Amino acid sequence: MSAGKVLVVDDDPQIRRVMKVTLVGHGYEVIEARTGEEALEKMPAEMPNLVLLDMNMPGMGGLETCRALRGGSDIPVIILSVRNTEKDKVAALDAGADDYVTKPFSIEELLARIRAAMRRSSPESGPHAFSSPQLEIDFETRRVRARGADIRLTPKEFELLRYLVAHAGKPVTHRELLQAVWGPDYGDEPEYLRVFINQVRKKIEPDPAKPRFILTEPWVGYKFVAP
Amino acid sequence: MRPAIRSQRPWRFAASIGSVGVVVALYSTLLHVNSTTVALSLLLVILGVSARWGLAEATVASVVAVLGFNYYFLEPIGRFTIEDPQNWVAFGAFLVTAVTASQLSAYARRRTAEAEARRLEIEKLYALLQAMTLTGNARRTVREFVHRAVQIFECGAAAFYYSPTGDIVRSGPESAPVSDHALMAAAEIEEPSLDPGHTTFTAPVRLGGRSLGSMAMLGPLPAEATLRALVNLVALTLEKARAIEDASHAEATHQSEVLKSALLDSLAHDIKTPLTSIKAAVTSLLGSAPETEQELLTIINEEADRLNRLSAEVIAMARVDAGKLHLEKRKVHVGELIASALSELAAALKGRPVTLDAAPDLPPVEADPELMQQVVKHCIENAIKYSPEQSPIGISATLKKEKIVIGIADRGPGIEENERMRIFDRFFRGRQHRFATKGTGMGLAIAKGIVEAHGERIWVESERGQGSTFYFSLPLGGARP
Repeated sequence: MSAGKVLVVDDDPQIRRVMKVTLVGHGYEVIEARTGEEALEKMPAEMPNLVLLDMNMPGMGGLETCRALRGGSDIPVIILSVRNTEKDKVAALDAGADDYVTKPFSIEELLARIRAAMRRSSPESGPHAFSSPQLEIDFETRRVRARGADIRLTPKEFELLRYLVAHAGKPVTHRELLQAVWGPDYGDEPEYLRVFINQVRKKIEPDPAKPRFILTEPWVGYKFVAP
Repeated sequence: MRPAIRSQRPWRFAASIGSVGVVVALYSTLLHVNSTTVALSLLLVILGVSARWGLAEATVASVVAVLGFNYYFLEPIGRFTIEDPQNWVAFGAFLVTAVTASQLSAYARRRTAEAEARRLEIEKLYALLQAMTLTGNARRTVREFVHRAVQIFECGAAAFYYSPTGDIVRSGPESAPVSDHALMAAAEIEEPSLDPGHTTFTAPVRLGGRSLGSMAMLGPLPAEATLRALVNLVALTLEKARAIEDASHAEATHQSEVLKSALLDSLAHDIKTPLTSIKAAVTSLLGSAPETEQELLTIINEEADRLNRLSAEVIAMARVDAGKLHLEKRKVHVGELIASALSELAAALKGRPVTLDAAPDLPPVEADPELMQQVVKHCIENAIKYSPEQSPIGISATLKKEKIVIGIADRGPGIEENERMRIFDRFFRGRQHRFATKGTGMGLAIAKGIVEAHGERIWVESERGQGSTFYFSLPLGGARP
């Protein structure tokens, strides 16, 4: 059985070749696209489990493709880029990517990131539901309602919220949160949390500028409180 | 023009007297009408004379008309006396009306002439302004001014001293009657000066207190008000030309920087893309290869990493060389900079003892965190390269006079005094390490470029056999809110 279907989007044919051979060797099914436009075309028919998306492509480019993907699905997206500045990472995460890998990378690193992006904690651990007048979360059906409307969270956003709710009332450190949501190889990427917490707040908080559910613990991490 | 006026004057007086004489002769010999009609006719003639030629001619005509009126038309006729008191009133009324009317008419004539002169001067100023604004370049504006001013105002000569470049430009048939020295001195004075004979005008040219130089014009000169307007006009035009020059220069610089930056970005992309395929392929093979091949694959993998670092440093160096590094400054704690550099270098440090000596309450600095972290990294890498394995590295951060100074100390052999200055040059290696050390030789040069782009300083203190300490300063972030 395949470990999952991966859509590799890159304009460089050699990179697509290496990815295909390697990922297939590790049990993944691989489909390729040369441009963002082609990737969006292939999405509905192929239904991949994960997208590896090059940031710098001719045509619509990685960031725009990522936003377009996010508009229609919550599929995990990993952006691959030769740039390694914090600004570029934040831009990629803001566009909806789950993770960001700098080129060149070793295959072990990429495989670890792919596993982290596809992993979901088992529903048995943690709470089954959370309910307050402003916010309702059903962790088994993965449904979230805020102010009476259904909210769509990406898998990483959902995992983040689940972990915080499971530890409600206690501050969770940056490292602990990163490792719980992304995996044991993570811990030094506070910018990931800044972007994701921001996105979750925008979706569930009545006033994201003055959060009531997810509070920042300066220098430590974040804390979920039931108001 | 003035001699021409003088030569016409006697003729005009004669003509004025003649016209009065014709009317008097006409009424006294051919047409017999009453004295009121005669008086009105004479008044008409006087008004005509004053409107045509001016007050002097009209006054002479009035006197002749009064005498003729009295002699030929007021009783007793043929004598310069008046008998009837009524005729005295008529005579008086005629006299006053003639003089007043000729004065009013002459005044109106003078005002018209003045207005006409003003209009002409404004037209000339406008013509000059048009000639100057077409250039869009300060030096050409100055040249255009001195040539056109002589042409348009028909003055003897014009000169301009343009202080930003020190140019002096002259024009006109009269050669250099105002010396360079006098012209340059005029730029320093406060007010324009016009000599009493109205022949030499010198003025400082400045705008909003900023000196642009000075100008001089030699007679015949336009009115003083026009000259002052001219000075302001030149100042404004020059300033505009300078602003256009500055803007196009800044635009060109910006364009070239955008181009350089785009080229470097695409170069980085083009080098790293094949490296990505190599690295991905070789690390994939490493996972499953038999032991005999592991060694060779490891070499490929390490060399791919080395090429990657090399390309990153070449591009970083090129960015430093290209001039302005793009700084994204924000407030950051030096502890964060040091911690993230150490975490990136964890593998290279291989468990070396690192001591950190920094007060916990240091204020934040204002810097580009990513670039400054590179500086810390390059200094630590340098310490790793040039000191024995397992020897400790000491990092310190201290507050000194509105700055924070970071120091990175190693226990290496130290740097010879004559090499201390050159250590920040690219590709430079100390004599004893010339063949022994890996790396590009650009790390410290890049660090220096980044520190200097922040307006700060990097230096080294060293003692033979005791090790070296690299220091660099960072500005405090507290100054700006």
